[in-house]
Amino acid sequence: MTLTKGFSFSKYIAYAFLIILCLLWVLPVIFGISTSFRSQTEVVSTGFRLFPEAFVLENYSTILSNTSTAPIMRWLMNSVVIAVSHTLLVVLVISLTGYGYSRMKFKGRDALFFTLLGISFFPNVVNLIPSYKIIDMLGWVNTAWAMIIPGLAGMGNLFLVRQFMLGVPQEFDESARVDGANDFRIYVSIILPLMKPILIVCGLFSFVGSWNDFLWPVIVYTDVDKMPVTAGLLLLQDIYGNYRMIGQLVGSAILAMIPTLLLFAFAQKYFIQSINLNSGIKG
Amino acid sequence: MKKPFIHALILCFTLMTVLSACSSGNSSKTITFWTPLTGEDGAFMDQLVKNYNATNPEIKVKHVVTADMYTKISTVLSTGKDIPDLAIIHADRVPGFVKQGKLEAMTGIMAAQPELKEENYLPQAWNTGNIDGVQYTVPLDIHSNAMYVNKDLLAKYGVEHWLDDNNVTVDEMLELQGKMEEGQYVVNDALIGWVMLAQIQNLGGDIQVDGKPAVDSDVFRQAYTSVKKIADAGLMTPFGEDGFLMFQSGNVLFSTDGTWSSTAHAAVEGLNLGVTNIYSVSPDKFTNRSSSHLFAMFENEKRADEKEAGIGQFLEFIRQNSMEWAKAGQIVASKQVIESPEYKNYMQSFFTSNDVQTQSLYIYTYEHYPYIQEAVDTYTADLIRGNIDLDETLATMQKFVEDKIAENESSGAK
Amino acid sequence: MKKAITPYLFVGPHLILFIVFILLPTIYGIYASFTQWNLMNDPQWVGLANYKTILFDTESTFHTQFLNGLKNTLLFVLLSVPLLIVLPLMAAVALQHKYVRAKGLMQSILYVPGLISISAAALIWLLIFNKQLGVTNNIFGSEAAWQATQPYAWIIIIVMTIWGGLGGNLIIYRASLAGVARDLYEAAEIDGAGSYRKFFSITLPSINFPLIYTFVMTTAGAFNVFGQPLMMTDGGPRQSTHVLMMYIRSLAFGHGESIAGMASAMAVLLGIVILIISALQYYVMNRSAR
Repeated sequence: MTLTKGFSFSKYIAYAFLIILCLLWVLPVIFGISTSFRSQTEVVSTGFRLFPEAFVLENYSTILSNTSTAPIMRWLMNSVVIAVSHTLLVVLVISLTGYGYSRMKFKGRDALFFTLLGISFFPNVVNLIPSYKIIDMLGWVNTAWAMIIPGLAGMGNLFLVRQFMLGVPQEFDESARVDGANDFRIYVSIILPLMKPILIVCGLFSFVGSWNDFLWPVIVYTDVDKMPVTAGLLLLQDIYGNYRMIGQLVGSAILAMIPTLLLFAFAQKYFIQSINLNSGIKG
Repeated sequence: MKKPFIHALILCFTLMTVLSACSSGNSSKTITFWTPLTGEDGAFMDQLVKNYNATNPEIKVKHVVTADMYTKISTVLSTGKDIPDLAIIHADRVPGFVKQGKLEAMTGIMAAQPELKEENYLPQAWNTGNIDGVQYTVPLDIHSNAMYVNKDLLAKYGVEHWLDDNNVTVDEMLELQGKMEEGQYVVNDALIGWVMLAQIQNLGGDIQVDGKPAVDSDVFRQAYTSVKKIADAGLMTPFGEDGFLMFQSGNVLFSTDGTWSSTAHAAVEGLNLGVTNIYSVSPDKFTNRSSSHLFAMFENEKRADEKEAGIGQFLEFIRQNSMEWAKAGQIVASKQVIESPEYKNYMQSFFTSNDVQTQSLYIYTYEHYPYIQEAVDTYTADLIRGNIDLDETLATMQKFVEDKIAENESSGAK
Repeated sequence: MKKAITPYLFVGPHLILFIVFILLPTIYGIYASFTQWNLMNDPQWVGLANYKTILFDTESTFHTQFLNGLKNTLLFVLLSVPLLIVLPLMAAVALQHKYVRAKGLMQSILYVPGLISISAAALIWLLIFNKQLGVTNNIFGSEAAWQATQPYAWIIIIVMTIWGGLGGNLIIYRASLAGVARDLYEAAEIDGAGSYRKFFSITLPSINFPLIYTFVMTTAGAFNVFGQPLMMTDGGPRQSTHVLMMYIRSLAFGHGESIAGMASAMAVLLGIVILIISALQYYVMNRSAR
């Protein structure tokens, strides 16, 4: 009896904490959504209120009706293609490489891994020019490749996958090896299915990261029609800091996040499937 | 896991090929025209380009709006590929680009289009493109600092007469000290850096002496001391608050922002809007610090002669037909446009309504002006609120500009 | 023979990508830090001059900018990282509670802000903190102009950062907590352990790696901050929220001629700081875990 009592007590604490946190988190979102349904006059004249006084659709109709200078639906489409391709390739690369850095034995493996990780920590602001030159040499300027490929070299997700792999007991693959399977067979038929949950997490991170990147696409794209949505949205903002149609800006940001939101809703049930990131820290 | 994964990948790449295939244009028969005109300005420029292409010119113009154009310009200049045929740059960028030998002179184009000449444009806009006697740019507009007026509020406080000479002075504004209702202010601090740079002119000074920056100077000291009085008297919107929105919500008499804001202000219902010159520390002179959008050609060997001819035609078309650009709130640089009766319908026509007004539009052309602007923007807010010591800060600002110039002198050497 | 090359088939593709898209540009960036460069002409070799100026020339603007930027960046890291670790961890533990319902909904709510573009998020928060229109002053009656007064300027930057950044770490913790073996808790319950003891003696040790991972990565990310202060306070008041990355960016891509050599040197120095701190974190946490 005492046990359950203790339990319900902790349940209330957990609920209280979560509800407060969620309220704090959701209120600005609701405020943002409601702002996108308010006129500029209302935004600048009425104080903070959660819901619009007069509900206007004008912001959205303006955003959606501009198909020449700001074809937002087309941008969304471009973003989907870029983010999906990027994510699928990331999953392929990190699973393959993660297997390599955790299961294969070669000289200086861990040293190599941590060296790469260290290098990737250098801020890349001034690397813009050389990066652009490389993209140009490859002939990728103004193509989706410039968005899809360079990000595959990232180390963050790989770090996560490698660690996950170190936690997966070696017995699984060893028994297969005894049966005569080579590394590729083991990777495809044993390791990949095991990795699925962590790959979904990394895939989501890559998708969101690729979707929200706005510094790089501005540089590599010149065609308005080919741009992903986050870079495109920058074209809606004025070059002058203080000329802003607040409702439109927030509205377009809300439109731009719908696809990622849908993906999240789909992916989130997989997170709670058991992922064991916990054991075996090495290196 | 494996199969659907591969299917998805294949699908994506097919889709990508399809998407990228259907928008590839023929580049030898179009003039690629880059502008930094995001937002509504871009849409007005798009319309202008569309109008031009509708005249069926031999070479059509393709307008590309770029969110971070100057960074992008440095990337394409570094590879020498994808350099635009024509671009719009800001006045303060001209000296730097010319010094690096990155701009092509307009000489050939001006020879082919005789109407592209100084007499047909606002002189200060034309002259910003002239370096050592060579013309590098053709102006589109002047965009200027402007002071918007809440007419109803002006009447409420009985100070409409301030506008009589089109020069609202700091002393006049100080008359309202202690008379403002709570939550109401005389002026906001939008674009305050531009306002300060106008005062330097109003005081008869300059930002440079013999080519050396002169920030730590008496003119700057005087300008800051005077403008600070407005803040000290509690007449300026409080530090850190959004003065632009406060003006729109009807609690501020004057807003010191830009000609381009007129459309945004006009979108606010119930705001009885007027426009005048930026307030002045001097009763004798008023100045509106301005910049200009200029057509320029970046150095590019691959630009064919017939393209230059096409660019000339386009610029001539703009000279005659840029009324559309007035809708963006800008002061059009072409005299033919601003002298036409239709232009009077636009609020910014105020700034070219007579010679004195036209001369009030001041564009700084000093080579290192951008660094001075940066220093002014960084420190002004804290200076006029008395958060930092004036003498000390002016010395810091001077050093700030000098250090940056020193870095450039040596790296600029070819 | 065949055995010897197989590892490279696995790590090779990524290694090539890494060399092309990270290593080469980074080397170029480091090279640029030894030059004077305006991004347009070829860089001019100046040896250690940039580093000397930044580190030792106390008169120089670049020295003051670097120190001020680094100080503010460190402050941001110290303020934001602990919150970005503790809050998502607490949320994940609470969501893990077996009697808590609507987990998916709450998890989504906490994750969504990370999807909103930073400029729109900044606008929303600026409206919320706006003195006339906002909630802080209307409801809490605070008289301060938040963006222009310390410590409020830091508070709004940190609040916006935590709001947008909690979701990522939350997902990692959620995923790892799900992997902690049930029987450990059950055994502890039989021993009569309370929630707190279970948390400290079972949960924490079992998610040791995710903790190290998020700690290292969140810190490295926080050192690169520039969007939030740029949009919320523009570095003010008195440049007290002007972080190093903002100085670096405006040197390289600001108005006027670029001073990219100096910017690169600052970026390299920042990189070294990040490297040392992450190595220390990894080393210390990894050791204490054993």
